[in-house]
Amino acid sequence: MKHIVIYLKKEVKKNLLDYLFLFTAGVFFVVSLNMFKGERMLEFVVLLGFASFYIVWGIYHHILEDTLHLKTVIEYILIAFTVVFLLKILILP
Amino acid sequence: MKTIFDFIHHLFVPKEDNNYRAKALHPDFLTYYLLIALFLTFVFKQTNLHNVLGFATDISTDKLYQLTNQVREKNGLSDLSYNERLATAAYQKAQDMFSRNYWAHYGPNGSTPWDFILRANYQYEFAGENLAKNFLFSQGVMDAWMNSSTHRDNLLKKDYSEVGFAVVNGILNGEQTTLVVQMFGKPLGSLAKKTSPIIPEAQPVQAAEKVPKPQVVEISPVPVPKTQPAILSKESSVLPFRLANITLNMNVVFLGFLMLALVLDFYFASKLNIVRIGGKNVAHFMFLGFVLIGLLFLTKGAII
Repeated sequence: MKHIVIYLKKEVKKNLLDYLFLFTAGVFFVVSLNMFKGERMLEFVVLLGFASFYIVWGIYHHILEDTLHLKTVIEYILIAFTVVFLLKILILP
Repeated sequence: MKTIFDFIHHLFVPKEDNNYRAKALHPDFLTYYLLIALFLTFVFKQTNLHNVLGFATDISTDKLYQLTNQVREKNGLSDLSYNERLATAAYQKAQDMFSRNYWAHYGPNGSTPWDFILRANYQYEFAGENLAKNFLFSQGVMDAWMNSSTHRDNLLKKDYSEVGFAVVNGILNGEQTTLVVQMFGKPLGSLAKKTSPIIPEAQPVQAAEKVPKPQVVEISPVPVPKTQPAILSKESSVLPFRLANITLNMNVVFLGFLMLALVLDFYFASKLNIVRIGGKNVAHFMFLGFVLIGLLFLTKGAII
């Protein structure tokens, strides 16, 4: 557990602005879903927006870190769209 | 047993065998997840399960009725008895909202909730209406109503003695929508002899209204919309499984699995000081965490 805390601290400290940016987007996503409760199309648009942002964030973050690789981009895309399709079943059955 | 343990180890722990990245997070496995998600989306869409089985949500009139009486009992009020005429009025109101494409207590043609109640041949002394849409669970509907002062007042009004519900699926504003209509009433009794009627003015629909006087109301048939909404009958409550539950649990299990894989991978990678090319586990974890929180809001709908 100690390793996780040390690594987390190091990682967050190194990329504080990036993670703050992602965290803000996440809060915005949750608040938007709360605002548009019951409006399924808007909920889906909000989800799609957050997933797209996440992919862009990933690419931007790895460009800054100079660790951008096709495999990394694919990883972000796959995770984001798996979540989008799974939640779509719930939002727009 | 050892094979299973090795497989789990291979799935979650970064080591030489899996190129120092938990196999559950490898691009090939992530592709499988996406394909499974696509397949499920396709299956749910093509088989039209929610329409075939008559429910897209886990809301039933039985459960709503039970919950309504539960909150009344908790507040020291008498139970409401179920009235089929009020249920018919609620169903016709829901059908009207679908056919005229509106989401409000008052219709675009000026129709009021009281019109539907009277048309169902229910002469009332007091009446009220609560509406909800796109909730996944009956409990969610009741919680939202109880958290809104006007709806709560309706639920806990001692003047009501009867209630009727309709839970109807249909297309509203081009979207698959589940509407819940709750109609309260107290049948006209002693007030029938009143000579000076009180004509109701335009007021919040949650407020109880007095009917002007006993009258014979013509029942006109409600136009049947082209896209026939599916009523979620009481029988849906005894179906062996629920689509809403399944899809919600499926999402929670998948997100939980992925988060577990990320945490374990992150733990062992940091412990073993592994440096590798790939996405950031912290970022993935944050993304999935927010989606998991978002899931809670997706089970909730809107009320008016």
